[in-house]
Formats: sequence, structure tokens, C-alpha cells
Amino acid sequence: MTAYILRRLWQMLPTLLGVVVLVFLLFNWVGGDPAYILAGKMSNPEQIANIRKQLGVDEPYWVQMWIFIKQIVTGDFGASWSTGETVKNVLETRLGPSMTVLIPLTILETLIAIGLALGVAYVRGSLTDRMVMIACTVGMSISILVYIIVFQYWLAYKLGLFPVQGWGDSLSENLFHYALLPILIALAVGIAPNLRLFRTFFLDEINQDYVRTGRAKGLSEPRILWVHVLRNASIPIVTHVMANLPSLLIGAFLIERFFSIPGIGREVILAVERSDFPVIKAITVYVAAATMLFNLLADLIYKAIDPRVQLK
Amino acid sequence: MAVESKPLLSVHDLRVNFRLDKHDKNSGFAAVKGVSFEIPENSTVALVGESGSGKSVTALAILGLLPPENATVLPGSQILYGGRNLLELPKSALRSLRGKDISMIFQEPMSSLNPVFTVGYQIAEVLRLHMDLTPRQAQTRVVELLNEVGIPDPAAKSIAYPFQLSGGQQQRVMIAMAIACNPRLLIADEPTTALDVTIQKQILELLAALQDKHRMSVLFITHDLAVVGEIADHVVVMRDGEIRERGTNEAVFSNPHDTYTCALLQCRPPLDSRPRRLAVIEDFMDGNCPAPETEVSKRGLSGSEPVILEVRNLGKSFYTREGLFGNREFKAAHGVSFKLPRGKTLGVVGESGSGKTTVGLTLMRLHEATTGEALFEGRDLFLMSKAEFKNYKRRIQIVFQNPYASLNPRFTVGQILSEPLLIHGIGGSDAKRTRLVNELLEHVGLPQVSYHKYPHEFSGGQRQRIAIARCLTMKPDILICDESVSALDVSVQAQVLNLLQDLQDEFSLSYIFISHDLAVVKYMSDQVLVMNQGEVVEYANSDEIYLRPQHPYTQRLLNAIPKAGERIRGKISAN
Amino acid sequence: MNPFLDTPQTSPGLWALAWRRLRADRMAMVALAVVAWFLLTLLLSAAGFIAKDWDAEIGVNYAPPTFMGAQSAEERGVQGMHAAEVATPDNPRDPLRDIIRQLRAEREGGANPALVQFDDYGIADPLAAEIAEIRAAQGQRNTTAAIEKRATLPLGADKWGHDIIQKTIKGSETSIVVGLTAALLATVLGTLFGAVAGYYGKWVDDCFNWFYSVFTSVPYLLLILAVAAVLQQKGVLTIVLILGLTGWTGVFRLIRAEYIKHKNREYVLAADAIGASDLRKMFIHIFPNISHVSLVQMSILTVAFIKSEVILSFLGFGVPVGMASWGSMLNEAQNELILGKWWQLAAASAAMAVLVTAFSLFTDALRDALDPKLK
Repeated sequence: MTAYILRRLWQMLPTLLGVVVLVFLLFNWVGGDPAYILAGKMSNPEQIANIRKQLGVDEPYWVQMWIFIKQIVTGDFGASWSTGETVKNVLETRLGPSMTVLIPLTILETLIAIGLALGVAYVRGSLTDRMVMIACTVGMSISILVYIIVFQYWLAYKLGLFPVQGWGDSLSENLFHYALLPILIALAVGIAPNLRLFRTFFLDEINQDYVRTGRAKGLSEPRILWVHVLRNASIPIVTHVMANLPSLLIGAFLIERFFSIPGIGREVILAVERSDFPVIKAITVYVAAATMLFNLLADLIYKAIDPRVQLK
Repeated sequence: MAVESKPLLSVHDLRVNFRLDKHDKNSGFAAVKGVSFEIPENSTVALVGESGSGKSVTALAILGLLPPENATVLPGSQILYGGRNLLELPKSALRSLRGKDISMIFQEPMSSLNPVFTVGYQIAEVLRLHMDLTPRQAQTRVVELLNEVGIPDPAAKSIAYPFQLSGGQQQRVMIAMAIACNPRLLIADEPTTALDVTIQKQILELLAALQDKHRMSVLFITHDLAVVGEIADHVVVMRDGEIRERGTNEAVFSNPHDTYTCALLQCRPPLDSRPRRLAVIEDFMDGNCPAPETEVSKRGLSGSEPVILEVRNLGKSFYTREGLFGNREFKAAHGVSFKLPRGKTLGVVGESGSGKTTVGLTLMRLHEATTGEALFEGRDLFLMSKAEFKNYKRRIQIVFQNPYASLNPRFTVGQILSEPLLIHGIGGSDAKRTRLVNELLEHVGLPQVSYHKYPHEFSGGQRQRIAIARCLTMKPDILICDESVSALDVSVQAQVLNLLQDLQDEFSLSYIFISHDLAVVKYMSDQVLVMNQGEVVEYANSDEIYLRPQHPYTQRLLNAIPKAGERIRGKISAN
Repeated sequence: MNPFLDTPQTSPGLWALAWRRLRADRMAMVALAVVAWFLLTLLLSAAGFIAKDWDAEIGVNYAPPTFMGAQSAEERGVQGMHAAEVATPDNPRDPLRDIIRQLRAEREGGANPALVQFDDYGIADPLAAEIAEIRAAQGQRNTTAAIEKRATLPLGADKWGHDIIQKTIKGSETSIVVGLTAALLATVLGTLFGAVAGYYGKWVDDCFNWFYSVFTSVPYLLLILAVAAVLQQKGVLTIVLILGLTGWTGVFRLIRAEYIKHKNREYVLAADAIGASDLRKMFIHIFPNISHVSLVQMSILTVAFIKSEVILSFLGFGVPVGMASWGSMLNEAQNELILGKWWQLAAASAAMAVLVTAFSLFTDALRDALDPKLK
């Protein structure tokens, strides 16, 4: 087990290095000399010269690369080009609001989707099944932007059921006041694709021979679904949910932007709009590292629920 | 012999329609066309038939396990059990019968068990459902049951997961689950087909013993008439959804009155003689049972035949990763040596995991050999460069096991057969190649219209003929037949074996005939190589091996071959 | 003589069989018809037969849809507004702002004063010449059309009086072209990489796998945004490249798995046995057997990329200003909704929802029809 984790961590290094090179190429090579961008932001030429020196722009590429790697390891990416806030501080303070939305969202979304998918799998092939599936397809075809614009306008602006936007300081206020509508909208958008996916996981399992054995044993259909099928289907479901957590962090950017939630996603949009390279670079590298760690975690959970998997 | 009384279960005029494609209303066909038979108390009834005969559909219909989305039981069908028609029973009532009064075991024990629950849990589930046992009582009973079906160390095995058991043990677990509630009827749907022949024998003996002990009835579904002979009291032969013959074991085996039953009995290569030609289904079409062919072919080597291929000390290892840096070696085959004379057949026989297929693939260089040499006309095939080997490749060809997988489904038969000609520059012009291909099609007994058809339009036997024709395009010297007839129905198997025999005589081909089926290997081969766990355990002339097996493994293997008409139960009561 | 030789009897291949199955599926055919209708509209508008003058201001500002009846200027909330004043789009964020600032800084720094022209803003505008041209064209149109601007249009008008129907048609063209070409690029890349990696295995596979894990470690949207941040110039080609070059990973994973599965299938071993070369095995033997995976993936990607394009254009990272796309329409509509002008939002959302629904339903049916289990 320990050997497995160690080896996986060891194997992550080349991938992480690849991400670093990719980000480096993108920003230091394709992006070109930061002076052009900085010129629009700062009037003080000394400041610009300082940043150029910090990044080693005039040095050969391998030196610049080395500077970048040092930044990653120490977590010190300097200051944002736009606001002057340190990148470290940006990341630390934006994570909380994102999590306030994401954790309840992920839990609700997964549970609701599993429940609905099992229900639909139970009546598979029926008219209800077909109708639900078509409803999902139609629901997924409407842009997330439309959901946000319409819900925000109608539920918050017109009916006044929720605050239009904003964010407070206390967790409970944020969770039960400001985050409600964002979570509701994200659920409306997120359940349909998960429902469809989980349904296929269930249907794959329902066609397995052991389900026939269960029936031959005289088990009731609900018991077959809730005990035998769910246990097997939970393997791909858990893997799917775990592996998608880090990208959710970014995926919620539209919601965060519309509702002015000071989270990571909104920070990415702001940084892209402002060409705030240090912030984007830092977020990209750290989110990539988080993705890899979550993949490892997903595999470990996989092992815990599937006795057949031997970690080597 | 069981005492007969009123039937435990009777099937009356069962008709089932199947639909293959949910979008296509015309894809329906009648899978079972009015089948009637009875299962008496305390006896074993065998339902025999080749693929597509409707035997499994019949069995599944009894327990109401047919997939509802594409199977319909037509009105008028009846399955009577205890005075009630199972087909009209409410779902809950049927459910309380399943697993308690009537239980079932299946062909693939591995996939029939839920992979993420322990076997103990899965057996206990039935007990708690139907017998109202507490978890603790159930656990005690599980160990008893596992012990009864002959699983060593049952207490420890009850907390094992299915994948930790061997195929035979998995089937024993299925049996334990099936007999847990002392059912009146056990339906066994091809329970030994996926198992090796030695394991098959054990499972058959176990089923016979349990049937006797629990005084239950068994409905045994199989494609293999020989297996039936060992276990059944009554035999029902099915073909194309209809019953062809029905009678007691003795009657069916000693005096079959249906031509199809006759054909089935004679299509299998017999062990005690070697007819020149096997009977095929067409021989019986005119409605009479011809006497078995008397002309016998001689097999075996004198030792002076010219050798075309000599293999010395062939070995192939696979490596799996282990620990942080470790590699574990797995020897799929090692120390394999033999000589193949021109125009003769070497049979390679062994159970799953014996390495017999590895030997075939290595000779074709589809796997790289780890050790050893293969001398073809004095040159080592393994040392040749890729370019050099290309010229030798056409002289050694291989026919694979699965005729459904070995033909590219996107090619027409014409494309499949012209491709080797094109690659090796045989034939010259397209017109000439087309002519060559058509000649070959005729040679392997396929009509010329086949040229423009796709493989999916052919039956298994026809596809295997196409695969053989593909090899013949290159006029090889050696043909490796890797389980080439194992996936075919008995009647088709005989046709393909006859074809192989004719081709050998005509082109003086040398065969390496790989199979798990001893009867077929013995019929086809001059010499036989018996393999077990990657090693050669015995190598001799084929008659020699069957008459005087030296190695204990060979003896076990021979003992396990089911002999038609000779019943296990008879032996059990005699002992 | 063989009578069959002269009349070769052809049999349906697997594609023909799949098409037969597809045709039996009524919903698939309806979906296909809808997709075909969109594609036809696209071709007509791309060729300039329809919606050519989508940017002509033929209606009054915010002209409501015909069925609502005409509204006075006060009702429309555009009192005191006339076309000339509204000419600069009121974007929450001007996508040209950074460029303008940069150019302004350059001017202050005295860079190439000779080359730059100054516009009304007092800054160098590289588009000045084009804008002048457009304005001239507009002026020309206005002389003929300004007198009789229509009070209502079938589906209403936007802030400038553009016909929503034509704008939506033009927007569909942009979004679908971006979606389709990007999906084609991603599918070709993914299929090619997947085929090579899966077929050759060993170190080749390791290399591509490394490449794959690098690309998948960075969440897809973040990667797109990062690239968008770096590439300052906007255009249809840029966005196609961004989507295509980052979107190949899913196809790669599936195709690679298929090649690994198929290369040990007996028909490929048989091809090896008859001496077929690697390339022949890869593309003549295996590819036709897995091409349906690529096709279905491309279909799925098209939908995904249309959605992504909408989001990117909405944020201002997508197609350039002045080009209609569903995303930029939604962007305008967002502000219009507060004023109660819902028709642009409705038209863009409905067009997108109908196309994407039809495309998705068709994809599902296609997958069913090509399902190898039914072979």
C-alpha cells in the first residue's frame, strides 16, 4: 500500500513537470515579453523593469524556467500585476468561498443524481424512462448562461426570493443566504448529465449475469438494485465524482462571476480579463497538482470498495 | 434408478418469441415452438441441443427469467408446478418459489456471482430470505453448505470474494447457493461448459451425488450429448426450438429413432476407433440412420518420416510488475521440444493455462519466444529478421479458435481472401486473383456468391471455412489449428474436421492441432503432446497415449472424458 | 459457367446496416432533419443568400416582436436615443480596452507616431480604416432605410434595430462552424494519437500517455482560459485552434483503448499472420472497426464545443466584436433582460437549445445504431 502510494507520487513528477513546461511555454514563450501587458497597467517604468527582472525575461529560457520552478516550490509567485495583492494571499482567501458553494453542491448533486438514476434504471425502457432521458437532453442543451441569467433575473431580481448577488463574512450567512441560489442553479445544470451518466453505469450492471442470479435466488427487484447493483455501480460513480472535483473548482466560474462570489473561478476570469499572468500561472499549476492527487485518492477509494483491485 | 411418479413440473406447448433489435419489428423469430415435456420427481432430465435450439430459453422461461424487453411467451403456453401455471403466477409468488423450490445455476460461475460481495454473504442472502435464519444461524449453515459441495476449508472460504476462487470452486459456490433451501428442482444451464474437463467430471459427480442425497430433480441443459449420458435419467433432444426426441437415457443412446439424435451421436469423433470420415448432418437428411463408417484411417509415426519443423526447448515468459521495483516472471511455456514430419499432424492437448496456445502463437512469432529455437528446413525462425521471416510467414499459417473474431467484419469475403495474395504479390492481376479466390471458395465448400458478402452473414462453421481458405491462399506447408473447432457445434465440428482431413490429404499439409478436447485431438493426430502448466508431460504416438498413458496427468485427463451412455450414478451406487 | 459471376450480388456492409437501423428510429430521423435544416441555413447564410444584411438597422431600437404590437419610444425605454449614439456597444467590459490602453501607452512613449492615425477617442485605432468603411456603408443604407425603420419585426430587434431573426441565423453560422471545425480537428488529432499510442504500445504509448496526463491534469476550461489569456488576438480561427488543440484528450483515451483491445483480436493476429504491415493493420484493418467511436465522439465534441464557444464569446474571449454568435447575443441579452427586452435572449437560447437537443438525440441514436453488440 505504502509502496503503491510512493510509486504513484513518484510517477506524478514527470506529469507535473510536463504541466510546468506547458504553462511556462504558454506564458513565457507564446505570451512574449510581459512589458507590453504591464505597460497598460502600470505607469511607473521602474515597476515594470522590476517585474521583468523578477521573471528573468532577459535571461536564457532555462534560467526563466528555473525561476518558475522555484516559484512553484516556495509558493511565492510574487504579486498580482493588477491589484498588487500577493498571489499567495489571493489563493488562500478565494478557496473558502469556492468551497462553501462546492462542497454542499457536490454532495447534493451526487446523492440526487444517484437516487434519480436508480429510479429511472428501475423503470428502464418504460415511457417514464424515455421522457426523463429526453428531458435531460433538452435540459443539457440549454446554455448554463441562460439558466443563470433567467434564474437570477426571475427568482432574485423579480421575485426577490434570493439576494441578487453578494457575499458576507460569516459562513452561515454565506451558506444559507448568498449561496442558496447559486447552488440551486448549479444543481439544475449539473444533475442532468450526472443522471444520464449514472444511469448508464446502472444499466451496465443490470445486464450482468449476477443480476440474473439474484433474480433466480428470489431477491426482490429493489433489493437487487439497492444492494447488488448499487454496490457495483458505486465504483465508477465514486471515481467519476472524485476525479471531477478539481475541475469543478474552475467550472463554477460562471456562477461565481454572476453572483459576485469571491472564489477561485471568478478569480480566474478576472485574471484572464486583466491579463494577470502570475495569478493564472499559480492557479493552473496548483489545480493540476490537485487533480493528480485527487486521481490518486480516487484510486485508493476504488480499492476500498472493489475487492478485485490489487494495487501494484 | 429413480422411482417414477407424477411429474414435479410439466411444460405444455411452450412458445417463446424473441426480438433481436428493439427498433426493428421484423427481427423477431420463434425461439421455442411449442415444447412439451415433464420432469418427474427425484430424477435428472437432460435438455440437449446445439446453439439456437431454444434449450436455454426454455430453462429461463421456467423461472420467469427471460429478458422482458425482447422475449415474449405466447399465450397458451403452460409451465405447471404444484398445480399452478408458473407463467401466470403473480411476480411476488414466483419470487418466493425462486431459490427456494426451484433454483438455478449458470454457465459462467465467475460472472454469475456478484464480484463485490463475499461468497458467504451471497449464500447467506438466500438463507435469510427464504428460511428466516438469523445472521449467525445463516453463517453456520453457509459453512455446512460449502463443506457439502466439497470446498476445502469452508470457514475461511466463506469470507473470500468470488475472484479469489478457481472456476470449479466458483461453480461449487453457485451449487451451494442453489441447494441452500433444499429445492425440489435444480435447473443447471450448461454448468460445466466453461470448465476444464477434469473439473467438469468433479462437478458432474457432485451434482449426481447431491441429487441423490436431497431427493430433488435436476433439469440439466447442455450441448454435449456425452455429458448427458453420464448424468441423465431422461433425455430431451431439441433442435431449432422443437423437440426431436424424448426418452429414457438407455433408449436414446442405444436406440435413437430420430435422425438428428443419430447424427449427434455419430458426429463426435469416437475414442475407441478412428473412422476415415466423420458422419455429418447431411448423411442423415434422407431420414435413416446409416451405420457408422467402417473404413478406418491409420495414424502414428514410424520415425523415418522427413521432418519439416523441429522445435527445441521453446520457452515463453511473461513479466508482471510487483512491489516498488520488482518484476515477477510467469512461465507460460518452457522446455517444449517436438518434431513435426511433413504431411502429418501433431496434436497439442491441455487444459486452460497449460501453455498450448502460447506455443502456437510463438511459432508464428505473434509472441516473441523467450528461449529455444524452431528449425524450419534447418533455419531458425526465431533468429530471422522481420523481412526474412515474411517469406516464411506464408508457409506457416494459423486458424484461430473464434470464427466470429478472426475475420475482419468490415471486409467482404473476397477482400479477406484476396488480401494475402495482394500482400505477397501472388496472382498478378486482379482478375486472376478473383479467379484464385473463387477456386478456393469452392475448395472449402462455399458458394461463389460468398465473394461479395460480409462475414456476419455466415454461420460459425462457414466462417471457419473462410479462415481456412485464407490460410490456403498462401499455399502453406504448416497449418496451426488453435482450438479451431472448439467453438463450433458438434455437427458443424465434424464437417470442418472432415474438410481439414481432405485438405491434408490433397496438399500434404502438416498440422499442429491444438485443442482441449482429447477426443478431437486423438482423432486428428499422429502424435500427441500433452501439456500441463507450461510443461510437456507426455509426447508419443496418439494411439499409444490413449491406450497406455504413462504420466498420471494424462491418465487423469483420459479418465475425465465423458463417455456417452455410461452413467456416473450407476458407478456411485455400485461403489 | 457460373451464373453468379456475371451478377455479383452485393451485401449491405455494416454502415448500411447501421443506417437501416437509424432510419427505423423515428426520433433519430426527426433530430437528423432538424440538424440538416440548421446546416442548410448555415450553408445559405455562409454563401450570402440569406442574412447577408443582418447588421442593417432595419427596425427601431428594441423593436418588439410583431405579435406584441408596436411600442412608443418611452415604452421601449430608448427616449432620446438615436442610432448614432448607440453605435458603440455598451459592453460591461470592452474587449478592446487593453489594446486601446496599450496603444495609448505606445503613443505616449512616442512609438511610431507617423504610422498611427487617431480617431474620435484620441487614440490610435488600428481598425480606423475599416470602421470608416463600415460607417460609410451604414450611411449609405441609412439614407435609403432610415426614413422607414419598422416599428415591429417578426421576432423583434436589438438595441440597434438589427433584425433578431437574421442576427440569430448569422450567430448560428458562427457557433456551428466553430463547433464543427474544432470538433473535426480534435477528433482527427485524438484518433491519430490514440491509434499510434494504442497500436505501438511500449515507449510510444508512454510518451503519448505522458502528453495526455499533462493535458488532463489541467481542467479543460482552465486550459482554454489560460490560452485565451495569452493569445490576445481574437478570431474564429483562434477559437477553433484553442478548442481543437485542448479537446483531443477524450477521443485519444477512447481510441487508444480501442486499439489496445483490437490489436490482440484474432482478425488482427490473422492479418499479421498473412504478412500485413503495421500501417495496413492500423488503418485498413483496425480503423474501420473503430471508426464509429471517432464519429460518435466527434458528434459529442461538436455539442460540447458549441457550448464552450458560447461561454467564451459571452465572456469576450471568443469571436471578435462585431461578429454575431450565440454567445455575444447572450451577452447583450443579459443587460436587455433588466429592461424587459427578452426577445434576443429567447431567440438565441431557443436556437441553441433546438440545435443542441437535436444533435444530442441524433448522437444517442447514432451510438445505438453503431453499437457493435448488435452486429
